[in-house]
Amino acid sequence: MTKVTTLSEAVASIPQGAHVALSGFATARCAMAFAHEVIRQDLKELTVSQCVGAMDADILAGAGVLSRIIYGGGSRGRTGQHFCLNRAIEQGTIIAEEYSSLSMAFRYLAGSLGLPFIPIRSLQGSDILKHVQEVAPDTTGTITDPFTGDDWLVLKPLSPDVAVVQVQVADEEGNAQILGPRWENEEQVKASKRTIVITERLVSTEMIRREPDRTLVSGFRVSHVVQLPFAAHPSSVFQAYDFDEAHIDLYAKASKTAEGFQTYLDQYVYGVKDHWEYLEKVGGMQHLNSLIADPLLGY
Amino acid sequence: MTVAKEYASFELMAAAGARELKDGEIVAVGLGLPVVAAFLAKASHAPNITILLELGVVDPEPLEIGVHGLSDPRIWYRAKIHASFVDMLGAVLHRGLVDVGFLGGLEIDAYGNLNTTLLGDPKGKFRRFTGSGGGNDIASSARRTVMIMRHDARKLNEAVSFITSPGYLRGDGERSALGLTGGPSRVITDKAVLGFDPESKRMKIESIHPDTSLEDVLENMNFKPIVPDDLPITEPPTEEQVRLIREEIDPKGNYA
Repeated sequence: MTKVTTLSEAVASIPQGAHVALSGFATARCAMAFAHEVIRQDLKELTVSQCVGAMDADILAGAGVLSRIIYGGGSRGRTGQHFCLNRAIEQGTIIAEEYSSLSMAFRYLAGSLGLPFIPIRSLQGSDILKHVQEVAPDTTGTITDPFTGDDWLVLKPLSPDVAVVQVQVADEEGNAQILGPRWENEEQVKASKRTIVITERLVSTEMIRREPDRTLVSGFRVSHVVQLPFAAHPSSVFQAYDFDEAHIDLYAKASKTAEGFQTYLDQYVYGVKDHWEYLEKVGGMQHLNSLIADPLLGY
Repeated sequence: MTVAKEYASFELMAAAGARELKDGEIVAVGLGLPVVAAFLAKASHAPNITILLELGVVDPEPLEIGVHGLSDPRIWYRAKIHASFVDMLGAVLHRGLVDVGFLGGLEIDAYGNLNTTLLGDPKGKFRRFTGSGGGNDIASSARRTVMIMRHDARKLNEAVSFITSPGYLRGDGERSALGLTGGPSRVITDKAVLGFDPESKRMKIESIHPDTSLEDVLENMNFKPIVPDDLPITEPPTEEQVRLIREEIDPKGNYA
């Protein structure tokens, strides 16, 4: 049965206050078109989770969509911090439940396996643990290993309401393939109650059956499939297109201040009707063509 | 091996960092200069090290290192495996197989505790930075940790304002009491290479860089490290190492 739909319908399926796991990692495979539509539809009080803070979470934080972020920290590398996220956390408008990459990955992993908790060596002795114990006291605990008698820190599983995953290839049932490193996307999908797949290319199920070893997302976990090109712009999608360095710089400069960020939103999110208009706005086909990946390099 | 006649400070730091890696080791590499140091080691004395990037990249051979840190696809090029956090930080690091964790830092203290989360300003307000990413995981589970950072009195304090990644905590066996093995082995700054006293776990100067002095090193630290009687000069990079950095590892000068 086909689950192919529009971005606006997929976003409309998410209730206010939902917990959404996002697939971005810093400046790679960020669910940007999705985030723009969430902002246009004026969703509020969302919780967003991901291992490492990415541009999709940053823009949502800046637009006032989030009430909570559950993540492991993160930045845009040498192009700077996630200014919107950091500003919202500093000003107390969103609560940051901040762990580390592996603790987040383990929380999703435990959720994906249906385990009640997961032991971990990380976080012990750190102020990260103290902070988490303050802002989210019900997510950590200790347990004695019944086999060795050792004490372990344990983490509560994560079970997001919906995972939103930006992929390269999917079929109409939502069977999806991620090329390149997949960070925590597989565990996010498997831990979530359902998944929205945003795919660069829609292929027949016959194509999926030809390379089943590449399929990371099973169709039965997926509620909506949305096909849109350059849906992660300005972040990169391995083997599809490179990040847009000039646009990321523009975003970085704009997002340094709340006013600058508002101007960015007015121009690139509120100022366009949909993703197609956005693509025209950022330079259209001629510019986007220059970002298309070299198949040998993958970027 | 001819010593380079001229080199930048970061090139000496990368060379000192590379020297900490032994051939055949498994190295988990964090954001920033550690990336340059790890690829330098691999291109010179340690061709058989395995470089891991936390997001799921094993043993890449990039043509250039790019600007966006670990998320830049340039740094994933020619990897042997594209995998996941659970694979890298879980099945390799948490499993106990990572020999060296290689991290950059914002602030570090006398016991090697690392802060990458926040810094206070003189008005008592805190500014947020990157947070942990895989840094806390690597510092908790690698067999030893090497850190690279700026030698600046505001960043080298008796105690960090936020422990993102644990070193020896407050010394006195506090780290091992939590079941954490390993710990920091070296801190490489732009003025010195520092280690840790095996007993007290306090930071100790191992060598000072050419063109600096012990006074300069100490004046730019906000705590007193252990100073040995015999203080060698850090070995500068070789001509070949400088060539490798400029021509092969970072040809676009992103880290220069």
